[in-house]
Amino acid sequence: MKTTTTLRPADLAEVRDAVRDTPGRLAVAGAGTAAGWAGDLDTVDAVLDLSALSGVITHNPGDMTVSAHAGTPLRALTDELAEHGQHVSLDAARIADGATLGGLVATGDSGPSSLVYGTMRDLVIGVTVVLADGTVARSGGHVIKNVAGYDLAKLLHGSHGTLGVLTEIVLRLHPVPQRAATLVVDAPLARAAELAARVLEGPYEPVALEWISHGSGQLLVRIEGTDEALPARVQRLQEVLDGGDEAADDPWLRHAELTRGSPEAAVLRIGARPSVLPALVADVAADAATVGLGTGVATVSLPPHAVAEAHGRVHAAGGTSQLRYRPPGADAPAWGPPPSALAVLRAVKTELDPDGRFGPGRFSPWM
Amino acid sequence: MALDDRVRTAFTRVLDPKDVLSDPVKCRAYECDGLTGYRVRPDLVLLPRDAEQVAAAVRVCHEFGVPFVARGAGTGLSGGALPVADGVVISLARLKKVLAVDPVNRRAVVQPGVTNLEITAAAAPHGLYYAPDPSSQQVCTIGGNVAENSGGAHCLKYGFTTNHVLSCEVVLPDGSVVTLGTDTAEQAGPDLRGVFLGSEGTLGITTSVTVRLLRTPESVRTLLADFPSVASAGDVVSDIVSAGIVPAAVEMMDTLAIEAAEEAVHAGYTVGVPAALVVELDGPVEECDAQFELVKAICEKHGCTRLHIAGSPEERAKIWKGRKAAFAAVGRISPDYFVQDGVVPRTRLAEVLDRIAGMGTDAGLRVANVFHAGDGNLHPLVLYSAAAGETERAERLSGEIAELCVEMGGSLSGEHGIGTDKACSMPKMFGEEDLATMHRVRHAFDPDGICNPGKVLPTPRLCGERPGKYKPHPLEETGAIERL
Ligand SMILES: Cc1cc2nc3c(=O)[nH]c(=O)nc-3n(C[C@H](O)[C@H](O)[C@H](O)COP(=O)(O)OP(=O)(O)OC[C@H]3O[C@@H](n4cnc5c(N)ncnc54)[C@H](O)[C@@H]3O)c2cc1C
Ligand SMILES: Cc1cc2nc3c(=O)[nH]c(=O)nc-3n(C[C@H](O)[C@H](O)[C@H](O)COP(=O)(O)OP(=O)(O)OC[C@H]3O[C@@H](n4cnc5c(N)ncnc54)[C@H](O)[C@@H]3O)c2cc1C
Repeated sequence: MKTTTTLRPADLAEVRDAVRDTPGRLAVAGAGTAAGWAGDLDTVDAVLDLSALSGVITHNPGDMTVSAHAGTPLRALTDELAEHGQHVSLDAARIADGATLGGLVATGDSGPSSLVYGTMRDLVIGVTVVLADGTVARSGGHVIKNVAGYDLAKLLHGSHGTLGVLTEIVLRLHPVPQRAATLVVDAPLARAAELAARVLEGPYEPVALEWISHGSGQLLVRIEGTDEALPARVQRLQEVLDGGDEAADDPWLRHAELTRGSPEAAVLRIGARPSVLPALVADVAADAATVGLGTGVATVSLPPHAVAEAHGRVHAAGGTSQLRYRPPGADAPAWGPPPSALAVLRAVKTELDPDGRFGPGRFSPWM
Repeated sequence: MALDDRVRTAFTRVLDPKDVLSDPVKCRAYECDGLTGYRVRPDLVLLPRDAEQVAAAVRVCHEFGVPFVARGAGTGLSGGALPVADGVVISLARLKKVLAVDPVNRRAVVQPGVTNLEITAAAAPHGLYYAPDPSSQQVCTIGGNVAENSGGAHCLKYGFTTNHVLSCEVVLPDGSVVTLGTDTAEQAGPDLRGVFLGSEGTLGITTSVTVRLLRTPESVRTLLADFPSVASAGDVVSDIVSAGIVPAAVEMMDTLAIEAAEEAVHAGYTVGVPAALVVELDGPVEECDAQFELVKAICEKHGCTRLHIAGSPEERAKIWKGRKAAFAAVGRISPDYFVQDGVVPRTRLAEVLDRIAGMGTDAGLRVANVFHAGDGNLHPLVLYSAAAGETERAERLSGEIAELCVEMGGSLSGEHGIGTDKACSMPKMFGEEDLATMHRVRHAFDPDGICNPGKVLPTPRLCGERPGKYKPHPLEETGAIERL
């Protein structure tokens, strides 16, 4: 096996030079927290390790924006932002493992609070990208409202390191809520779905509404607000839930754990209309699952041999799926049937990376 | 040179011949959008009746290399729907069906010609609404909103069109039909839906849009506050934000704008005060009440000279009427005006307004300000008299203001788009490599360059031309729409 060079550029110019001066195929790596997501990486000539491209560039508390190098772990921003009562409202499980801003955008990751705040695509307001020919392109900017030009950040969102190297990312921030409360109701999935529907029909404004396969199942409902108002809201929520206790421990740690999955099982991420999701999760015979009853996004663990069929079922239900993890040596397809816009995806890839240098294999067999 | 007969015949094969307009008088109705200073009469206007006909028409364009421009309601303010010489306009006006409202999954599927407000009307019986609320919402179409990534006063809290569209069925410039986006935020691969949103009709035509619907908030509280200076009103905005409050809307008006609005609609604003703020909070009743007290205290701390709290939905509507009328009402205090749409970081509002005032004085022109203070989206109105020969000076000042916004770390446009109007200013905001990359993305979708060519990205031919002066949109004159 040939040895792979690892390049550790520390600034934008070094990234550009590394891309220009290194012949052949390149893998882009952040912290390594999603190394196995999507398709298996083919052999590459070099790895662009972005961990040295790290740190805040500017934080404008009054504007509630921050720009940082793409190799910055999101959790490294927490202290700086918390000082001003702000945060990036993204709660993807792997942030705790050190996931980088670039990696989070490139994988299109999100957590339970995407119910209100959306995914990384909704929080990124500007990016700088290095293309395979060394072109350095910026789009967006430092203001939240901005419709000038094409939004290249969206293109990089979910690109899994195949279209360009993100070097700088500008994010919009939100205030850290004064207070948050999570109610936990023991309930199997079907019952949890009924309760969730009731919550969504009322004025409760949950920030997260998830079922987890913990014990015989638990519904987690999180609300956020002010010290003054929250207790009354918790009470109203308990009324509609016919109970529900405020969790003493942090149930979201269990949620994150289940989202990560275990080393023996394959992990599949599913998106489908919330009304069809519970039945779908039951159908794919998941061993463990977190199910977003408002978002329609579930993460399920299942035996690798069941992945191909699971992709098929999700697509038959009008949903989307992608593999997040396969146990070493296991054979499980990363992707299901291709999207209708495959030709556009390929055309975009050909325009931006005509020689297929970045992330070969990630979208196999689509491109 | 007109389109040759073979092309027209080909269109009449895929559309009902009476849906292919070639009469110059009829085609003239499509010669401009809301940016009325630019006009180009299209050779043909196509009025397809369904998505299949749109795709068939685009296939004809593709086959003959005919450029096409999609058109919704024609309220765009940047010349995005301006026809292309020797090209066709494809109007989506007849695709006006709400295809489905799904209260359980809180979404609606609509055809592109459905107006923004019709979506909310269809959702309302379920206690739901469509959040992005451009002030043209009574007439502008969801197709146009998708193309412009339109915003509105309440986008401060709820986000823009891009945050509320799950998927779009799109006819690509080669006539093929694809779906961009999915049923959820989860997507397999790059977010092509996100690229399409805000691409100003240059990457294809959307024929069906699936939007997210939100639950109507339980409580809404609105206040109108007067301030002794623009700076003190600006400080209130900053303090609200640093208190961790995310208001549904924060809007500001200056003396001139207040004067104009009050003269026009008598909404109860105080004529003569330097600045007024409209602040709105919404959400669960307990949160709204708690935070509203805080907002009142912040206003008082900054020397608010009058605080008016809407005591009923009618009073609330009245406050908004004044705010929304300001834009068009400026026509009462000046024979002509240009409207600008720049964005600056919120913390630089006071500084920028100061600079704009100075620039106005230097140019010998008045500038009225009405804007979305919460997100720094300015709409400076440069007042002038064409009859007095001030047009060129005003045009220059308006352009300089937009470029000042970029210099301040902001953007050329917050919601009206680049279109024809600002394509030539794009190099002020983006470098050559940025623009070249955007060209490559465009080329991936539209290799033949037939889809709304000349818009968004600068071309030498376009940048030789000069814009005309602002004229009120015909619908604005009738009062059907207002400008925010
Ligand atoms: C030091 C190091 C050496 C490695 N050596 C090899 C090797 O020799 N051979 C091999 O096959 N694999 C190697 N890998 C693993 C491989 O590079 C990763 O599987 C892959 O690139 C994923 O990145 P990640 O695991 O850091 O995950 P994350 O940082 O979470 O990234 C997840 C995804 O996002 C993409 N991504 C991350 N940051 C960016 C960014 N800034 N711009 C664009 N896309 C981005 C990644 O390419 C990946 O697809 C190495 C990884 C590291 C950290
Ligand atoms: C009085 C007034 C007030 C306004 N207030 C606001 C405001 O508050 N916020 C705001 O954001 N905007 C505002 N606007 C601007 C305008 O209303 C919006 O840009 C709106 O989204 C345009 O919609 P339309 O249907 O009129 O589109 P058009 O003007 O017909 O077209 C706009 C662009 O969209 C493209 N397009 C149209 N339909 C489609 C389709 N189906 N597929 C692909 N591309 C398509 C066109 O090619 C063009 O580039 C205002 C305009 C006026 C006149």
